[in-house]
Amino acid sequence: MVETLREVLQGALDRLHAQVTTHLPSMLAALVLVLGAFLIALAVRWVIYRIFKGPAIDKFLRQSGVAFVLDRSGRLRATRLVAETVYWGILLTGLLSGLSIFNTDLTTQMTQSFVFLLPKLVMAGLILLVGAWLSQYLSRSMLVWAVNEEFPYPRRLAGVVRILIMFAAVVAAADQLNFARTVFLTAFIMFFGGAVLASSLAIGLGSARGVRQLLEEKKEQAGESGERSLWSHL
Amino acid sequence: MADAPMPEEARRAAELIGKADIVVGIPSYNNSRTIGHVVRAAYAGLAKYFPHLTGVVVNSDGGSADNTRDAVLSARVEDRHLLLMSTPLVAAHRLSFPYHGIPGKGSAFRLIFSLADRLQAKACAVVDSDLRSITPEWIDLLLRPVLFADYDFVAPYYHRHKYDGTITNSIVYPLTRALYGLRVRQPIGGEFGVSARLVSRYLKRDDWETEVARYGIDIWMTTIALAEGFRVCQSFLGAKLHDAKDPSSDLTAMLQQVVGSVFMLMQEYAPVWRTRGGSAPADLFGFQFDVGLDPVSVNLERMVNAFRRGCQELGEIWAMALHADTYAAIRKLGREVSGGAKNFHLDDELWARVVLDLACAHNRHPVSRGYILRSLTPLYLARVASFVQETQELVSAQVEEKMEQLCLQFEKLKPYLIDCWDGRLQPAAKAGETPPAPEPAGPPSAAVEG
Repeated sequence: MVETLREVLQGALDRLHAQVTTHLPSMLAALVLVLGAFLIALAVRWVIYRIFKGPAIDKFLRQSGVAFVLDRSGRLRATRLVAETVYWGILLTGLLSGLSIFNTDLTTQMTQSFVFLLPKLVMAGLILLVGAWLSQYLSRSMLVWAVNEEFPYPRRLAGVVRILIMFAAVVAAADQLNFARTVFLTAFIMFFGGAVLASSLAIGLGSARGVRQLLEEKKEQAGESGERSLWSHL
Repeated sequence: MADAPMPEEARRAAELIGKADIVVGIPSYNNSRTIGHVVRAAYAGLAKYFPHLTGVVVNSDGGSADNTRDAVLSARVEDRHLLLMSTPLVAAHRLSFPYHGIPGKGSAFRLIFSLADRLQAKACAVVDSDLRSITPEWIDLLLRPVLFADYDFVAPYYHRHKYDGTITNSIVYPLTRALYGLRVRQPIGGEFGVSARLVSRYLKRDDWETEVARYGIDIWMTTIALAEGFRVCQSFLGAKLHDAKDPSSDLTAMLQQVVGSVFMLMQEYAPVWRTRGGSAPADLFGFQFDVGLDPVSVNLERMVNAFRRGCQELGEIWAMALHADTYAAIRKLGREVSGGAKNFHLDDELWARVVLDLACAHNRHPVSRGYILRSLTPLYLARVASFVQETQELVSAQVEEKMEQLCLQFEKLKPYLIDCWDGRLQPAAKAGETPPAPEPAGPPSAAVEG
């Protein structure tokens, strides 16, 4: 009985020893790699913050309005953008290198998938960025137009424009990543169709009033040809 | 130099005439009611004051559907109505062409200037086709300083109703004066005399297809003349009485085109205006007299409501464009208006800062300048409403005095403009000021009553 117990324990210890001796060096090596990458990333970021000045990129970010998309205060600078990109790039490379040390099917597959997915992720990110910029630009244009034209609920109108464009960008990004294509596309078609229908109804109902107003104004103008336009201040 | 598009019939007519001393241009679009009078005045002016010179009256039409061109070609001048001291040696030619390109006053002017250049005219005058108060003397007053006193640019000087020309009074005149240092009272008047040298300079420019093609043309012409050192003067023309603008014409678009052109030229001529300080009076020709003016009705309530709405909705855009202090002051004013305050007052300094901040924002955000400019409309209406309220009891001389105060404020803020332009002063959004959450709608009726 005692012998059996001893054998079982010995077996367990042997297996643990075998596991530790097989994987610990790899784990330690991976940890060292990740830690090294982390320290390098920190150092490089620190250096970039101190030496890199990108006035041309700053100008582009400011003038294009991208700075306001990524940071509402518009304080985003090229230095921060480059430093953070490099930091995360080094950290990610370290993580992938750490994973590849294990040399198992799973880690190899994970690394390969990530490398394969990376360009698509970058592209999807760019699509989302362009979508965010466009949605901000068009919604602001819509907001100002609606305020000047005395449209009811200008902020909601601008919000609808922003959501529609952002939704379109998300659909395009999901398509790029092959992620739930049908779900997003169907939802987008339903949403867009609904918005078009609602706008058509609004325009239809509104234009009846508009035409009536126009006819009344024409009639008034015919009666008071001497009266000048409200906005004839130029 | 961008090739000026010239219709074939205009080219043929120019070849036929060969050479002319004077060109009088009349841009038009659906002005059959008034253009006959303008053509007669131009024709009579040429015959009466320049009988020894060859003159051409050119109508550049934007595709009118109301027989404007027929009205031009059939307008008759009866000799007995002219008191001529000498018989004209050559009868003035009269031409009418449709112009091509972007529809607008600027494109019409381009055709007129191209013809003047082709005919080697010594001077060119342009007059609006909706004028009711034009007389033959206007032609003399616009052309004589160019022909006989070596001026390159003659701007008009009129008496206008105190509420007429508010874009001029609130923005264009004070800003142009502060920037370029010459007091041209009507920089976007619409009637100008131009020398051959300046016509040639205009035609060499390649920005004809921007806002300049539309309402921006007047300030474009004036600014180039001022900034590039051409000799500029003014001629007193009496009263400017003209047809009401098309009621469907969009104030925001007009404001955007005019102010957008001023701001666009500010970028180009930044090295010029940065070095100029103060202002000097421009030479003024013509005998000044008092005239009766058309009344101008203003809807104060509608203007204040537009401002209130702007305050409720446009916070994020104004925060991006206006300096933190300016934005805070506008928000305070908006709260007062929404709270039903009786004394609505947008003072000269705040207004000048608004305009200068927007000029800097226009320079800083080229991609967003469209909506930044359009967001000026509620602020402009607030300023007009405040001005109307303050000047209700004032006569024109007193109103001019108030205008002078505003202009001096713009001149005083020139160092502020330079700091802002160079990025030493930050807009509210960057300074950490957060745009307000949409406020609940104010009381249904306006706080200020007309």
